[in-house]
Amino acid sequence: MASGVYAASAALVARTQELDAIANNLANASTVGYLSEHNVFKTVLADTSASGSALDQAVNNFSVMGQTVLDLSQGTLQKTGNDLDLGIQGSGFFAVQTKSGTMYTRNGSFQLSSTGQLVTSSGDPVMGASGPISIPPGPVAISPDGTISSNGAVAGKLRLVEFPKDSGLAPMGNNYYSAPDKTATDATDSTVMQGALESSNVNPILGMVELITAQRDAEMMQRSLSLYNTDMDKTATKELPKVG
Amino acid sequence: MFHALYTAASGMTAQQANLDNIANNLANSSTVGFQARRVQFSDLLYQNEIMPGSAATQQTTVSSGLQIGLGTRSANTEIVQTQGDLSSSGNPLDLAIQGLGFFQILLPSNQIGYTRAGSFQTDNQGNMVTANGNKLQPTITIPATATNVTIGSDGTVSVTQPGQTASSQVGVIQLASFANPGGLNSVGNNIYLQTTASGNPVVGVPGGSDGLGTIQQGMLEQANVNIVDEFVNMILAQRSYESNSRVVKAADEMLQGLNQLAQ
Repeated sequence: MASGVYAASAALVARTQELDAIANNLANASTVGYLSEHNVFKTVLADTSASGSALDQAVNNFSVMGQTVLDLSQGTLQKTGNDLDLGIQGSGFFAVQTKSGTMYTRNGSFQLSSTGQLVTSSGDPVMGASGPISIPPGPVAISPDGTISSNGAVAGKLRLVEFPKDSGLAPMGNNYYSAPDKTATDATDSTVMQGALESSNVNPILGMVELITAQRDAEMMQRSLSLYNTDMDKTATKELPKVG
Repeated sequence: MFHALYTAASGMTAQQANLDNIANNLANSSTVGFQARRVQFSDLLYQNEIMPGSAATQQTTVSSGLQIGLGTRSANTEIVQTQGDLSSSGNPLDLAIQGLGFFQILLPSNQIGYTRAGSFQTDNQGNMVTANGNKLQPTITIPATATNVTIGSDGTVSVTQPGQTASSQVGVIQLASFANPGGLNSVGNNIYLQTTASGNPVVGVPGGSDGLGTIQQGMLEQANVNIVDEFVNMILAQRSYESNSRVVKAADEMLQGLNQLAQ
């Protein structure tokens, strides 16, 4: 059977994966601090022995979904009025101590625990420059560099980190991201804005365009698959035997 | 394959919860002492096809993997802690709190409830009660003969009796605050209950430096619902719902195409 069938079906599988990723971006359009994911396709030379002729290479050069790359661009900061809602301007992340180790998040919707510790909305302590931060009761002010003061007295300083490009930052759900050890460096170009939250950086227009493209691409693959099925294979199995 | 259908459904469910919450905020925009809530979303787990940092070759690692998320969920509804507008009512037993505190009231279940709705009245024994008849704690009794009631910004309640020139003090209103007021449990009727998340109440007299705030007599705190924000959020919720339903349609059409392949 012609290997173009496999090329078309591999591409079809890649398009369904793409659709899944687009669906996730659109579903999280209202998730505070969510970073959208871009799909990267790559070609795989399925049969290296087929490198002889250009035609062989073409039909064996499959397209598969290779990577999802996090979009680290800035989401819009929306005013909320809550003193413990923090938005990051820049590419930094807050560090959070969770049961599964240090995680990073751009969702700055923080609260105080019943013991007065600064925690995320899932209750995990937010890390300061020297461990978790406790804030005494009273009006809280947070400066752009992350210094927290309560009733005029300094209570701690938020630990803001940045990551180099291609550091392997991976989404873990719950608005958390994990990173390989020792890739986080102290933030240099990030500032904190008090009383604001960063909306997701999902671009709904781009999402819709990607959705339509994925759908039409998939139709194209389906059409070529059915061509193999109806026209070529049928001709080979049904029509050819009738000749002569 | 085709998580997209479930992913989009999770997005639609989340936006539905968002709209439900917006509707409740708008419905309570005239409720005295009402504090708006805001739904927070979080992303779900990820399917790791290729984990970032895994070995690509013996020398190199994959810089970013192939991770496809499985959708969203509404994680919690946060209480918006902003001060509502104070409006003058003229009624001497209408009290507004300017600050973070709550009035303490005794519920029929003998629990203490917390509220910012300060439209008090007196019952047949002269006790200060809420519109539902729950007594303010600690109990403050206004003598039936009192001609004038004055409540100071520090919570001191004093009355003037007929035939007397000096006013006499009948009690002091205390307020409660919480380490995490966002963790209080709303039970309706403008009442919150304490939870382990909110922490224990810190009770004190108004006007101190502990952030409880001051009491304003003859004023009521209006709901802190910002109608413009709610409408903008409503439009966003509706559009997001639409884009998710568009994904369902796309996934459906792709599946339909697949089924037709075999014909």
